[in-house]
Amino acid sequence: MQQLSDSKSIYLQIGEMIETDILRGVLLEEEQAPSTNELARRFTINPATAGKGLNLLIEQGILYKRRGIGMFVSPGAREKILNKRRAAFFEGRLRELLAEAGRLGITKDEMIKMIEESDL
Amino acid sequence: MKLICEHLTKAYSGREVLRDVSLTLEQGKIYGLIGRNGAGKTTLLSALTAQIPITAGAVTLDGAPVWENRGALKELCFSRELNISSESGLSSMKVRDYLHYAAIYCPRWDEVLAQRLIGEFQLPVKKRLGKLSKGMLSMVTIVAALASKAPFTFLDEPVAGLDVIAREQFYKLLLEEYQATGRTFVVSTHILSEAANVLEEVIILRGGELLTMTDTESLLNSARYVTGRAEDVDAATAGLEVHHGEVMGRSKEVTVFLREGQAIREGYDLTVQPMSLQQVFVALCGEEENR
Repeated sequence: MQQLSDSKSIYLQIGEMIETDILRGVLLEEEQAPSTNELARRFTINPATAGKGLNLLIEQGILYKRRGIGMFVSPGAREKILNKRRAAFFEGRLRELLAEAGRLGITKDEMIKMIEESDL
Repeated sequence: MKLICEHLTKAYSGREVLRDVSLTLEQGKIYGLIGRNGAGKTTLLSALTAQIPITAGAVTLDGAPVWENRGALKELCFSRELNISSESGLSSMKVRDYLHYAAIYCPRWDEVLAQRLIGEFQLPVKKRLGKLSKGMLSMVTIVAALASKAPFTFLDEPVAGLDVIAREQFYKLLLEEYQATGRTFVVSTHILSEAANVLEEVIILRGGELLTMTDTESLLNSARYVTGRAEDVDAATAGLEVHHGEVMGRSKEVTVFLREGQAIREGYDLTVQPMSLQQVFVALCGEEENR
């Protein structure tokens, strides 16, 4: 897993790390996710914070709870994360990109040209 | 169990070190106590654990005053910073003996845990306290605090003088003990960058008064560092709680605390950044000097 930074709430970072692990295939669907205690120990964070990160993923249906055993990766979690990140890409990163382009005086046509010329 | 302090004031020969402090400590949380040197942190910890008489107010555990209350004192452990020069009697005491006395004072003392921690920290138990480095003295106080098994345990500057690896080790041990037992810990520290993620709530003292007591997550969530042209910054943050404004030429940087439902006004070309606990602390407590 990655390291924590100051740039964002810790519980959000914990959630994102687990999501990234699911996207990468480090964690597979129906596999057990790390527990609150494991995360607290691994990152030296308050277990309440780790729990908040996990609960966020449960609310979004990315993880689910098996009573008395722990948390598991939901079937279809990968797809959910991809959809969520795609939406965040348009809402967040693309907006930022456009704002910076605006500040720099880069025109829409120039940007479209660059995108078309890229290898994407 | 709840430890409550109400309108606590402590004065030393007429000089108020703590003024009208009210707070409630609940069971099963790790609290951070932060404040500048002389803000009253050690005095507060001493008063909460009935180590010193208080001038006004009350400190109660589940409704019963803690002062000269044996039953209540069994539940509290204050592991104070060992300051050898001022407490000369301690300097000739061996580590082993110090911990032995700690065990006598703590009815729930866990000798197995104490021995394990001594091993992990590689503490020289036969050495005299006066011969130990500052970091090793801190380790002694950590062993005493964790092994006390007191439901409310107070650690005054436990990481002072510890190297970065030992500090990490301390927080791991603290979390391990916390997870295993659900004890309440109150930890005072100046090294906020490492403590921030461990502390569920922070208690901030400023000049002997309680500035705020809040959960760390929401405090950090509400703080923003805003930079831009001065007039843009002012316009975008008008009506919000703004701290620590600094002006450099045409630019201005401020810390903003957003209350629920508040936001920084959009439509201005600003840089808005999240803040660390250390930065928030500087914004809140660094102002005294700038006034």
